[in-house]
Amino acid sequence: MSVGEHLRVGVRNHADTAVVHLDGELDLASAPVFESELQRAEVAGAARVVLDLRDLQFVDSAGLRMIVTAHTHARERGQEFAVTRGPEQVQRLLAITRIGEHLRIIDAPEELAP
Amino acid sequence: MGAGVGVSGVGTDLLVEAGGVLVTSLDLPTTMSQVARLTVPRLGDLCVIDLQAPDGSIREVAVAAADQQLARDLEDLRERFPIDPGSDHPVAAVIRSGQAMLLPEMSSSLLRSFAQGAEHARFMIERNYRSAVVAPLPARGRTQGAVSVIRLGDGPPYGEEDLALVVELARRAALAIDNARLFSELQDAEQRLQAVLGNLAEAITMEDEHGQTVFANQAAADLLGVAAPEAVTSAPPGALMGRFLILDEQGKELGLEDMPGPRLFAGEHPEPLLVRSVVRATGEERWLVVRSSLVMDPGTKRVAYAVNVFEDITGIKRAELTESFMAEASRVLASSTDYTSTLGRVARLAVPLLGDWCAIDVLTEDDELERVAVHHVDLDKLRLLEQLDRRYRPRLDEPVGIAEVLRSGQARIYTDIKPPAVEGYARDPEHVRLLRELGSNSVIVVPMQGATRGAIGTITLASGESPRRLTRADMGVAVRLGRRAGTAVERARIYTERARIAHILQRSLLPESLPEIPAAEVRAVYAAAGALNEVGGDFYDVFDYEADCWMLVVGDVVGKGPRAAGVTALARHTLRAAAISGQSPTAMLATLHRALNRQPRGADLCTVCLVTMRQANGHAQLKVALAGHEPPLLIDARGETTQLGRPGTLLGVIDPIRINETDAELHPGQTLLLFTDGVTEAGKPDRSLGSSGLRRLCREAPRLSLQGLLEHIERSAVERAGGSLHDDIALLALRLLTPDPARER
Repeated sequence: MSVGEHLRVGVRNHADTAVVHLDGELDLASAPVFESELQRAEVAGAARVVLDLRDLQFVDSAGLRMIVTAHTHARERGQEFAVTRGPEQVQRLLAITRIGEHLRIIDAPEELAP
Repeated sequence: MGAGVGVSGVGTDLLVEAGGVLVTSLDLPTTMSQVARLTVPRLGDLCVIDLQAPDGSIREVAVAAADQQLARDLEDLRERFPIDPGSDHPVAAVIRSGQAMLLPEMSSSLLRSFAQGAEHARFMIERNYRSAVVAPLPARGRTQGAVSVIRLGDGPPYGEEDLALVVELARRAALAIDNARLFSELQDAEQRLQAVLGNLAEAITMEDEHGQTVFANQAAADLLGVAAPEAVTSAPPGALMGRFLILDEQGKELGLEDMPGPRLFAGEHPEPLLVRSVVRATGEERWLVVRSSLVMDPGTKRVAYAVNVFEDITGIKRAELTESFMAEASRVLASSTDYTSTLGRVARLAVPLLGDWCAIDVLTEDDELERVAVHHVDLDKLRLLEQLDRRYRPRLDEPVGIAEVLRSGQARIYTDIKPPAVEGYARDPEHVRLLRELGSNSVIVVPMQGATRGAIGTITLASGESPRRLTRADMGVAVRLGRRAGTAVERARIYTERARIAHILQRSLLPESLPEIPAAEVRAVYAAAGALNEVGGDFYDVFDYEADCWMLVVGDVVGKGPRAAGVTALARHTLRAAAISGQSPTAMLATLHRALNRQPRGADLCTVCLVTMRQANGHAQLKVALAGHEPPLLIDARGETTQLGRPGTLLGVIDPIRINETDAELHPGQTLLLFTDGVTEAGKPDRSLGSSGLRRLCREAPRLSLQGLLEHIERSAVERAGGSLHDDIALLALRLLTPDPARER
């Protein structure tokens, strides 16, 4: 677990799936916290990566970019990648920016079963 | 003299002489040996005076003999064979009984009977002890010793008359002995006290109820500026106090009657008093804690003296004052970036703690000296200082003073400034006159040291009004103050400079003015988040796109600071250039997307809202293209809002981007509102206006002017953000002018 000023990032591994849980606000200020967590072996070595956005209270464009970066890294490593559906503001921004279209959005991490 | 005693002529002389001896001396051994010597040879060949010590032992205190060798031998004998107080020796017997003893004829056997051993007996026999008189030395109900007068060899034996004379002599001597002994004991006690008090670091004085100092130790003499304690005790009451200015902690002058000693005599119970004592002549300053307590006279049971202890806490107090001053000065210096006003407060803080006046001068960007702060304890003198600055502002080429400190970067202290020095410094007689009127006797000039370059100004402190003189310790504090102030001034200047650059830069990111659009009104409001000197990432623009067609742009580049500012400029100019080259809104956004992809990561994200407006038949035809941006709002005449456009991809993040161009219409009375997410997300989830909040504000639109509406929204967003915006705000709005003037606002 890593704690930024207003973002907590936790990584859990279920079998081959790394679940990266975001709690708080993902924005320009907290994006580096998230980025460093993504470099961890538990995430890099997993077969599947799920970004759990259900407790993400706020995201901005810089935060979206980090989500896209996570997605890009996963694709480069040949990992399956998905995000769980976030609260209204997160979903709204994913829609407005059309970033959501590039992501696989699931309701719960368990959905990404092997 | 009682007639019954029957004293002979020799006796009378003796007693008169004895009286003379006994009143002139209070020193016990001297008195006793003088008494003993009076009896030899007039009354006998040998006289011994013995006293009983408090432990009961009997010691000879005086021996007189015609034969000096005999006297020395006897002293030596007594040393080796002290008289046993319980023995039959006549001295012991007389001391025990208090009765005089006459021994007219002393046989060898008698001598042996009371001798303190064989050697003692042999001594007395060999020396021919013949006749003796032993009289008690009475003292307040007991016998304190005895006087023995002895005749040797063939002299006549003593009779009753001799006994009476010796008894009378002893009685007088006893009184003198008693006094001398008391005095000696007192002196011993006093010597012990003197030894203790004299070695104490604290100044101690003892005064009587009239204020007369009866005792002072060396530390007290030092404190009072005299060589020896005797100079303190011989001075009349209050005489030495006049040399000092005594102030309380608040600087109020105190009198003798405020001191704890006199207050004790007045029946008060004063607390220890903290005073600042300034030597009027030298200006030397000390902080003292004065404690007083009363001493009772054991005899009269009345208050006899007040003992005053002066504890010098100058070091502690100075350090304490310095620290609290530095803390306060640092707080003031950090409180604002307006250095002129903070330096003014620093000057006021420094007076009177560090001097009677304080002036702060800084070097301007044009390398001129500017007095930014000045303060004086005396307001008239303050005017004088201002007058001096106007007429005789220090010049940078002067050899001493401010100019020299600026050049060298070294602090200077000028003490004990004499008229010739003033005349040497002054430029003309009027300058001399003004400086004399100011009357500074010591001056400190310290540099205000910046972190990046040398001295950027000076702080001048001076004394003259009060007797105090500035010291090296004061200079040490001033140097620290100069360093803090220098850093603060430099920081403020950098801040101001950055703010100026930011302001210029921000202006380059935004249109200087909005173009006139026929039959339409267009207004914009922009507020940057954070401090004055940060450049925001929001931008807006309005320009003609095609004939009778205008383009409205609002965008948001992620990030703040110079890099974001660079990308903001890039975005705005890329869109303009693309528009001029005839690109469609979608193509314009694609062009910007490609340009952003070439930027370094970190300032390469941008959301944009483009709206084209073509006027036709009393209304306007709109085309909306969005790239990751909040959809603009159409506010109708009742204040109801509709979102325009369909989402398009955020630029600079992911390929490919998908953009939609959506048609809409704007009618007179309606308002088109473009905005950045700083408006809705102004304070993050809990403190943001949100989309619903913005819509609520838009209900006011029909009643407000276009400018009024934008300001209303801006104000609400700032309020929701708690007064400090988290993100920039850009608002751009358009209304069509109605042909009906009555509807115009």
